Amino acid sequence: MTPRNKPEALYLHVPFCRSICYYCDFTHVMYRKETADAWLDALEKEFASREFNPGLKTVYIGGGTPTSLSEEQLERLLSFLDPYTSHVSEYTCEINPETMNETKAQILFQHGVNRVSIGFQTDNAKLLKNMGRHHTVNDVKHVMDLLRKTGISNISLDLMYSLPEQTMEDLETAIRTAVSLNPSHLSLYSLTVEENTVFGKRGYKSLDEEMEADMYEYICQTLPSYGFHQYEVSNFAKDGFESQHNKVYWTYRDFYGVSCGASGKEGYTRYDVTSSLKKYLENPLERDEILLEKEDAMFEMVMMNLRLKAGMEKSLFEETFGIRFEEAFRGKYETLTEQGLLEVSQTHVKCTEKGFPVLNSVLEELL
Amino acid sequence: MDQKNIRNFCIIAHIDHGKSTLADRILEMTETVSARDMKSQLLDDMELERERGITIKLNAVQLSYHAKDGQEYLFNLIDTPGHVDFTYEVSRSLAACEGAVLVVDSTQGVQAQTLANTYLALDNDLEIIPVINKVDMNNAQPEHTKKEIEDIIGLDCSEAPEISARTGLNVDQVLEQIVTHIPAPSGDVNAPLQALVFDSFYDPYRGVIALVRIREGKLRTGDKIRFMATGASYEVLETGIRTPKEMRVDELCAGDVGWFAASIKSIQDVRVGDTVTNAERPASAPLSGYRKLNPMVYCGLYPSDAAKYEDLRDALDKLQLNDASLYYEAETSQALGFGFRCGFLGLLHMDVVQERLEREYNLDLICTAPSVIYHVYLTDGSMLAIDNPARMPDASKIDRVEEPYVRASIMVPDEYIGAVMDLCQNKRGIYSSMEVIDEGRNTIVYDMPLSEIIYDFFDRLKSCSKGYASLDYELTGYRKEDLVRMDILLNGETVDALSVIVHRTEAYKRGSGITIRLKELIPKQQFEIPVQAAIGGKVIARTNIKSLRKNVLAKCYGGDISRKKKLLEKQKEGKKRMKAVGSVVIPQEAFMSVLSMENDPQK
Repeated sequence: MTPRNKPEALYLHVPFCRSICYYCDFTHVMYRKETADAWLDALEKEFASREFNPGLKTVYIGGGTPTSLSEEQLERLLSFLDPYTSHVSEYTCEINPETMNETKAQILFQHGVNRVSIGFQTDNAKLLKNMGRHHTVNDVKHVMDLLRKTGISNISLDLMYSLPEQTMEDLETAIRTAVSLNPSHLSLYSLTVEENTVFGKRGYKSLDEEMEADMYEYICQTLPSYGFHQYEVSNFAKDGFESQHNKVYWTYRDFYGVSCGASGKEGYTRYDVTSSLKKYLENPLERDEILLEKEDAMFEMVMMNLRLKAGMEKSLFEETFGIRFEEAFRGKYETLTEQGLLEVSQTHVKCTEKGFPVLNSVLEELL
Repeated sequence: MDQKNIRNFCIIAHIDHGKSTLADRILEMTETVSARDMKSQLLDDMELERERGITIKLNAVQLSYHAKDGQEYLFNLIDTPGHVDFTYEVSRSLAACEGAVLVVDSTQGVQAQTLANTYLALDNDLEIIPVINKVDMNNAQPEHTKKEIEDIIGLDCSEAPEISARTGLNVDQVLEQIVTHIPAPSGDVNAPLQALVFDSFYDPYRGVIALVRIREGKLRTGDKIRFMATGASYEVLETGIRTPKEMRVDELCAGDVGWFAASIKSIQDVRVGDTVTNAERPASAPLSGYRKLNPMVYCGLYPSDAAKYEDLRDALDKLQLNDASLYYEAETSQALGFGFRCGFLGLLHMDVVQERLEREYNLDLICTAPSVIYHVYLTDGSMLAIDNPARMPDASKIDRVEEPYVRASIMVPDEYIGAVMDLCQNKRGIYSSMEVIDEGRNTIVYDMPLSEIIYDFFDRLKSCSKGYASLDYELTGYRKEDLVRMDILLNGETVDALSVIVHRTEAYKRGSGITIRLKELIPKQQFEIPVQAAIGGKVIARTNIKSLRKNVLAKCYGGDISRKKKLLEKQKEGKKRMKAVGSVVIPQEAFMSVLSMENDPQK
């Protein structure tokens, strides 16, 4: 990759939660006021010692639970970002219904946040309880009203499926309920039981594969009829509401990663800021860096881009690496096109309808 | 050293009763090995042995002991392998001794191998010193154990030391009893040489080293010797003992235990149990008890990566240098390509060889399910010995098929008799007898096809008796049975490496068990794969591996890239360990799936 312009996207990780969801394996620690204050001090240092592009296009604050912070802390956090947000077109913050209130909504709005992502998960009280979530559908609805009243109307909901004990009917109802709340964007994730989660430690197994496949098929077929088109493996949007920030990842462009547990990519360098809060507090610049080989980067660009329904623009690949896709993956991609899993046109490389749900198998061939 | 101050002995025990630990303590207490050099279980040389807690190759160590009578004694401690596969080797190492220390775990009492080994020792006229071990454990029952030994084996236990090999408690009593109870060796140093070979190993610089017990005469550097069974002749280049480090000596005399090197290139010349004599002044007859060992269990070994075929051959060559009982010959499978058909003394032996190949020679192997040798009598009167089910001829050419039977003696507490008998019945066992050996315990004897024993019998025996049952078996001969070859078809194609010979009455049960297991093991692929079991072209069981519908990571954002890529790499690596047979990719474990039974709760 030729050194290009500075990254136009920034991700900031808030490593605190008020409770732990059973499926989560992101960096998180239980919220305590003193710890969060110390973290903000460290974050301030990180901002002071790093230079960011003042012309950022997208910012994403994720977690953990950003809204687990107190009002004062949230205010302080967002003020660190203020110098960089004047050109931002999409400014997202993840929020959690239980830790949200009117004041926090106003703080977000005043600092320019114009999009929120809410963990809706499902509308079934029993399933929510099973996964360690403590909100209700009404909580979500209430928070959405609040946000809209404040001026933030671009709202995305996260749903999960293939949950322990979940039935197809449960999923259908959850989707109907979610759609009735009129979000502009939906993410639907099948539960992945990761080792270091409560689910993993309790030995939960994911639902039967056939069931999961049925659910995914249902989702992909149903959401468009509600006006949500699929643009990524797990993401659906009303027209004009695709997540610009996340598309930075999927098109393999550069992004800053800020705070404990975040990752960034700048050219051939990828870095992980330490995920240990203790280490981060001692030294906010503590990070692991990986220098990517060209081969790695080429594969990763394909790996990310093929997640998009539209696939990868071949010109983007060629401009970045100075080699055509067909040349770089000669001897690997042909079987995939023969099997009808991959489509290579003049302008794009993309998964076919058949290849899209088995993207991992496609990528294994390209590795 | 004067013959009367030599004591040659071994330690015998059921597996895990503490044989190696006691050997360690004895070595330590006679200061043969300084505590600094002491690794736990010193006699178990190979990494694998120490890890599995079993002794595979024999070892002999010389140590000196200052006894309470004020005299110096020379002890030759000969270690014995502790598993049913190596019975013959055990018997030969016993034959090199005058006495045996019988270790019995006082938390478990007499077990099947305790009995089997004691009988072997009695067959060899050894003086047996019973020793009650693990008396420091909470659940030790030393008195009960003594009574068991007296009742079951008929050995007097009034003087049996109660020891803890782990802590060293009362091990000194064992040493004293070795002096007082085990007779000194006899044998005339001036008689023609008779030396018993009880083990051998390969040294890359000096060739095969033979471990011997001199029965009569002398063995000196420069002697011309002859192996009486194999007929091979050599000139002795070195003689010595092990302490356990190797030490050269000028000569070995009647009563001694030691080793010699003679630039022997082939281990096939040095058979355990053979007699070495002086070529110029030979003994009139060899020592009794020699037997040529034949493999009992066969399986196919194939490199996962076809390019590693020569590496596998080299590795087998090298292993065989140390293991005369390992047999192999090249074979070809349509499914697996070029590989070897290998013969082993038993399942443990097979496991050990496979593991050594993978670990010491860094090979990725595909092992087909173990098979026994079937005697197939053809209509033209000839007989074929079939060690690979795929080679079984067409049914129309077969007059009858015979399979090897064993007599299995299972020692089991009362409460598990029912379960064990059910298992034996299930495994086509024919009830022979049941004997009450003491209150609450019994020996059940079944005649059983060997093939059933190699099909996970041991694991099931342990699980149905909560680990209390123990097994010993010996080959008794061949019997005619209604046996047929069952083929397994994947996507319509026969996979020769999955063929298996089964009893006709079991065919349906086994066929569905195997197809179901394969369905679980073979990863879903882009298309549906029919899995069929067939006899003579007639399908008797069938299932389908559904096609892969969803295989995609739910989340993949900026922070996930490295992790997700690693995951893909791992999955791809996993596939590399699989074998593409036709259009179907099959994992290694699948080739062992023919061992799986229907109704197996664990699988």
